[in-house]
Amino acid sequence: MAITLHIHSLSKTFPGQVALRDVAFDVEEGEVHALVGQNGSGKSTLIKILAGFHQPDANHVVTMRGAAFAIGDAAAAHAAGIRFVHQDLGLVEAVSTVENLAFGFGYQTGFGRRIKWREETKRAKQLLLDLGFDIDVRAPVAMLGAAERTGVAIARALQDLESGVSIVVLDEPTAALPGADVDRLFDAVRRLKARGISVVFVSHHLEEVFEIADRVTVLRDGQVVGTKRTADLTMDSLIEMIVGRRVVAESAHRVVVKDVAPRFVVDGLVGAGVNNLSFSVQPGEVVGVTGLTGSGRDTLVGLLSGATPRVAGTVTIDGEELPNANPRGAIQRGLAAVPVNRVRNGLLPFMSVRANLTISNVERNKRGWRLSHRDEKAEAQDWVGRLSVVTAGTEAPISTLSGGNQQKVMMARNFRLAPKVLLVDEPTQGVDIGAKEEIHSFVDQAADGGAAVVVCSTDSTELARVCDRVLVMYRGEVTEVITQAGGLTAEHIDRALLAGSTLAH
Amino acid sequence: MNTESKVAPKAALLTRLGLDRFSAIYLWVGFMIVFGLWKSDTFLSSATFKLTLGENVPIGLLALAFLIPLATNSFDLSIGAMCSLSLVVSTWLQNEARTGAVTPRDFNMPGVVTALIAIGVCALVGFFSGFVVVKLKVNSFIATLGVSQLITAIVLKTSDNRQITGAYSDTYMQWGRREVFGLPILFVYFMIIALIAWFVLEHTPVGRYLFATGGNVEAARLAGVRTDRMIWGSLVASATIAGIAGVMLSAKIGFFSSSTGPGYLFPAIAAVFFGASQLSRRPNVWGTVLALYALAFGIKGLQLVVGTGSFWVEPLFQGTTLIIAVALASQQGIARIRKRKAQ
Repeated sequence: MAITLHIHSLSKTFPGQVALRDVAFDVEEGEVHALVGQNGSGKSTLIKILAGFHQPDANHVVTMRGAAFAIGDAAAAHAAGIRFVHQDLGLVEAVSTVENLAFGFGYQTGFGRRIKWREETKRAKQLLLDLGFDIDVRAPVAMLGAAERTGVAIARALQDLESGVSIVVLDEPTAALPGADVDRLFDAVRRLKARGISVVFVSHHLEEVFEIADRVTVLRDGQVVGTKRTADLTMDSLIEMIVGRRVVAESAHRVVVKDVAPRFVVDGLVGAGVNNLSFSVQPGEVVGVTGLTGSGRDTLVGLLSGATPRVAGTVTIDGEELPNANPRGAIQRGLAAVPVNRVRNGLLPFMSVRANLTISNVERNKRGWRLSHRDEKAEAQDWVGRLSVVTAGTEAPISTLSGGNQQKVMMARNFRLAPKVLLVDEPTQGVDIGAKEEIHSFVDQAADGGAAVVVCSTDSTELARVCDRVLVMYRGEVTEVITQAGGLTAEHIDRALLAGSTLAH
Repeated sequence: MNTESKVAPKAALLTRLGLDRFSAIYLWVGFMIVFGLWKSDTFLSSATFKLTLGENVPIGLLALAFLIPLATNSFDLSIGAMCSLSLVVSTWLQNEARTGAVTPRDFNMPGVVTALIAIGVCALVGFFSGFVVVKLKVNSFIATLGVSQLITAIVLKTSDNRQITGAYSDTYMQWGRREVFGLPILFVYFMIIALIAWFVLEHTPVGRYLFATGGNVEAARLAGVRTDRMIWGSLVASATIAGIAGVMLSAKIGFFSSSTGPGYLFPAIAAVFFGASQLSRRPNVWGTVLALYALAFGIKGLQLVVGTGSFWVEPLFQGTTLIIAVALASQQGIARIRKRKAQ
């Protein structure tokens, strides 16, 4: 097959660190090429260089369809037909889809430079329909769901298809998409492929790599480990290439004592998206909750922790009822919650790792009236070591940590409270596979320590690995409970998810 | 890209000289040298020094008042009006004690008590502002703007828009002019309050909670911080300090006129934002104090040079220095961003 983009001997050095070393990377015409690697592997640096955000070191050889290509220049990338859909989508939330599509593309204008809104709206509607999304294109993007927003971002990247788009780079597009929506995305990708457009697909979800990609390139520590056809690889061999060591996912073997009183009891919960939900968790048990967007899974942790108010129902820990819509009250009674979207709901920007770690209980290091910075630093140092957080120190700004390490800080913040109940919402979203394993073992440890754990996730493999049983939700209610006895596997969970959506409710 | 090589040496030089985090000190030293040489007899005298230290205390206190809610990302724009309110309450009460126009003949109130009442009234106003912001969910910028106008109405009504003079006893005014260790007593009070503010903000859990609320209020709330209480409390604190500023002012000038107070808002805010670019690069107490006095000494020097009719000097100075100082700090920021992009 003809080669569209050819990269050879590409290196990138930052002060004190070599991010990329002699990278060779080809993109063939009309192929779907996956790019995988742990955080710190150089994968994001490579994409940023392609997008023009960084400049590579000198002495690289890069050609586009045989002609010399000035890599590291955003305008050159755009002119050469490379389009990007970045992880944060880059949409302006306050304005509508129509307007977002027009940014950087232009409006059709009529008499007196008047914008032709009707034509623009029709154009936007059609673009989204072509990708399989039927949305209100005049509503502000802030009101759209995660899947729909991804659709808008992709539509925006693809709208000038006629003027020669050659490569579309999708950077973790499925990070916030539950199962069914991922299929819609893949259909759109196959349609691009049919038109001869190449797709570079960056992802942490390895099963997606096998489903959609023709070839996969693995980066590790800044170097290319290899580029292989996905048909020639197995999941285990791919993971081994990424991590460099054999990773065996062991499912939790936990003996849960049944005749102890349940630690965490939810009774008749009614609230945003949840309709009369009841379940209980024993100490030392890990209960998973899954479901498509809108099933109640995505709003459950917020309702339980007090972030959003309950309409009805009670939540009790060891018999003590939690006050409604009161996160602090819940924490005081032994609850700890790691919210989804850590950047928006969890992290304190501009503040250090230490401040982020201790915020739920700063009093602990109070000596009289004074906050002992020395004691706090020592405690933070201890936790950083315990969870193997990769950071330049406890005083480093939280923004300098990778996604996986930020998530570890969030977990440390909650473990530090020695909670009776631990709630985690999408614990490994946007986290590389090495840190993913570590976070799963932290969940194991929390359960072993006697906590009742609830894991809300759309990652079936994760749920199978970590949970003792899984509740499948659909439209606010539990439609199925999968237990170890009934076969707690990723396939069973995926099937249950799909089965839920075919139920006549 | 070429921008990297152009920008890097300039940014590096500025950082090496510490111009990014210590520009206020450089500025202060610069002013001392320039005006010291130009007007050595008047500028470099202990009288001028003490005068400058003392007369900027009300502005300095208002700057601290603005700083505390700013840590929670709230803006208290009513501090100037509250300073005025405190001044009018204190002056009115003292006036009543002497003239008994409204109250019975033998109404007598020591200065300390009128001061506490004035501060207490301001604290109540702050409590009200907190209510509007936290319970009525009005943006702090707008809420305090509205409150400032309400207070102005009260001030004008109380004073009948006239000056109130001769209200204070001689002992009261003497107290305002005392010196401790050779420094004006008002300056010493200012330093004590600054010390307390610094301690609370940097060395107590409350300070941590205030900054967390300002950093990401939702994340802080979910982590168990009482964000409502932090915002409400910071507005009460700013009102109280503004009240103290008014009392300091009464001891300094001894009379009330409706034009005093609101005019201090700009220089106070200028000191806070200039100060935020100093030292720890976020709003902080000592940066504000440094910025305040760097500006103050420069203004004093220029006023001495210009001589009579130098009223235009102060606003010109504050506007210019604020723009230059923040632009200088932004230059570092822009240079850093350009350097990152050029990599």
